[in-house]
Amino acid sequence: MIEILRNVLEAALERLRYHVTTYLPSLLAALTLVLAAYLTAVLARWVIYRIFKGLAIDKFLRQSGIAFMVDSSGRLRATRLVAETVYWCILLSGVLVGVNVFGTDLTTQFIQSFIFLLPKLVVAGLILLAGAWLGQYLGRSMLVWAVNEGFPSPRRLAALVRILIMFVAVVVAADQLNFARSVFLAAFIILVGGAVLAASLAIGLGRGGVQRFFEEKREQTGESGERSLWTHL
Amino acid sequence: MAEAFLPDDARRAAEVIRRADIVIGIPSYNNGRTIGHVVRAAYAGLAKYFPQLTGVVINSDGGSTDNTQEAVLSARVEDMHLMLFPTPIPTSHRLSFPYHGVPGKGSAFRLIFQMAKRLDAKACAVVDSDLRSITPEWIDLLIRPILFAGHDFVTPYYQRHKYDGTITNSIVYPLTRMLYGVGVRQPIGGEFGVSARLISRYLEREDWETDVARFGIDIWMTTIAIAEGFRVCQSFLGAKLHDAKDPGSDLAAMLHQVVGSVFMLMQEYSPIWQSRTGSTPAELFGFRFDVGLDPVQVNVQRMVDAFKRGCHELGEIWALALEKDTLAAVRRLGGCTPESAELFHLDDELWARVVLDFACAYKRHPLLRGMILRSLTPLYLGRVASFVGETETLVAAEVEEKIEQLCLVFENLKPHLTAQWNEDSDQVRGSQPPQDVEQPELHEENLEV
Repeated sequence: MIEILRNVLEAALERLRYHVTTYLPSLLAALTLVLAAYLTAVLARWVIYRIFKGLAIDKFLRQSGIAFMVDSSGRLRATRLVAETVYWCILLSGVLVGVNVFGTDLTTQFIQSFIFLLPKLVVAGLILLAGAWLGQYLGRSMLVWAVNEGFPSPRRLAALVRILIMFVAVVVAADQLNFARSVFLAAFIILVGGAVLAASLAIGLGRGGVQRFFEEKREQTGESGERSLWTHL
Repeated sequence: MAEAFLPDDARRAAEVIRRADIVIGIPSYNNGRTIGHVVRAAYAGLAKYFPQLTGVVINSDGGSTDNTQEAVLSARVEDMHLMLFPTPIPTSHRLSFPYHGVPGKGSAFRLIFQMAKRLDAKACAVVDSDLRSITPEWIDLLIRPILFAGHDFVTPYYQRHKYDGTITNSIVYPLTRMLYGVGVRQPIGGEFGVSARLISRYLEREDWETDVARFGIDIWMTTIAIAEGFRVCQSFLGAKLHDAKDPGSDLAAMLHQVVGSVFMLMQEYSPIWQSRTGSTPAELFGFRFDVGLDPVQVNVQRMVDAFKRGCHELGEIWALALEKDTLAAVRRLGGCTPESAELFHLDDELWARVVLDFACAYKRHPLLRGMILRSLTPLYLGRVASFVGETETLVAAEVEEKIEQLCLVFENLKPHLTAQWNEDSDQVRGSQPPQDVEQPELHEENLEV
């Protein structure tokens, strides 16, 4: 009995020794690589913060409005953007190389999937960024137009435009990633259909109100003598 | 370049006429009601004041659907005795063409200038087709300084109602005068005399398809003439009475085109305006006299409401354009509730700062220009409301004095504009300008309602 117990224990210890001798060096190597990557990333970020000016990128960020979109004070700077991007890229590369050290089927498959997905992730990210920018731009344009035209609830109109544009961007990004394609597509069709129905009902049922609004507006600016103030430069 | 957009019928007409000393251009769009009078005045002006010179009257039409072109071609000065001519005089040529390209006054002018150049004209005058107060003397006053006094550009000087021409009075005149150092009282008046030399310069340019093609043409012509050192003068034309300009256009679009053109040219001529200080009025020709004017109806309450609505809704967009202090002052003003709209007061300094901040924002945000310019509308209405309240009891001369004060405020803020304009690209909105530039203070008492 004691012999059997000893054999089982020895087998367990043997398996443990085998696993330790098989995976510990890989684990240590992986940790070393990740640590090295982390240190390199920190160093690269530090260097970029000190030597990279990126005035042209700063100008683009400011002129395109992206700087104000990300940070309302417009303080987003190219140096920070590039430094953080480089930092995370190096760190991510280190983690991937570290995982690859194990050389198992699982890790190989994980890395392959990740590398296959990476370009799609980048494209989806850019689509979302473009959607956010366009949504903000068109939302603001709508806001200015609605205020100048004296439309009721201009902020709601602007928010609606922003949400619609952003939703379209999310649908396209999800399609790019092959993520819940049918769900997003169905939601999109339902939303657009609903919007068209709502607009039709609003025009049909609220025709009198809309007509009244435009008539009042015409009376205020178009037909009255005040028109002259608006048209004489 | 100049020939590229000349329609075939215009080219053929130019080949027949071959040359003319004077060209009178009349842009039009559905002005059948008034254009006949303008053509007759132009004819009579040519006949009466320049009988020894050959003249052509050209109507450049934007595709009118009324009887504009027929009115042009059938207009006659029937009775020469009205002008005390002993014998009949030869009539001038008269042409009417539809222009091509972007619909607008600028495109119409382009065709007129191309024809003037083709005909080797020494001088060209352009007059609006909706004028009711034009007389033959206007042709003389617009052409003579060019032919006989060596000027290149003649701008009009009108007697206008105190509430008429508010974009001119509150933005374009003070800003142009401050920037380029030449006081042209009606820089976007609509009637101009232009020399052959300046016409060639206009036609050389490549920006005809921008806002210049629409309402921006007037300030574009004036700015180029002033900034590039052409000889500029003014002629007193009396009263300007005319129909409403373009009933289909709205205020925001007009502001966008006019102010956008000023800001666009500010970028091009930045080294020039930064090198100029102070201002001197352009030489004024003509005999000044008082005239009766059309009344202008205003609804101050509605303008104040539009301003307050802008303050309430457009903060995020104004924050892109206005300096921190300016935005805070505007917001304070928007939050106040005066007992009556007439007591609303947006002072000269705050208004000048708003305009200058918008000019810098136009340069800083090329992709957001349209939106930023359109967001100026409620601020402009606030300023007009304030101006109407301030000048309600004033006579014309006193109103002119108020406008002069505004111009001086603009001129005092020029160092601030220069500093802000040249601000290092590292700096962001709301940051402080360089220390070495004197910062005029916003006076709190002026912000009270």
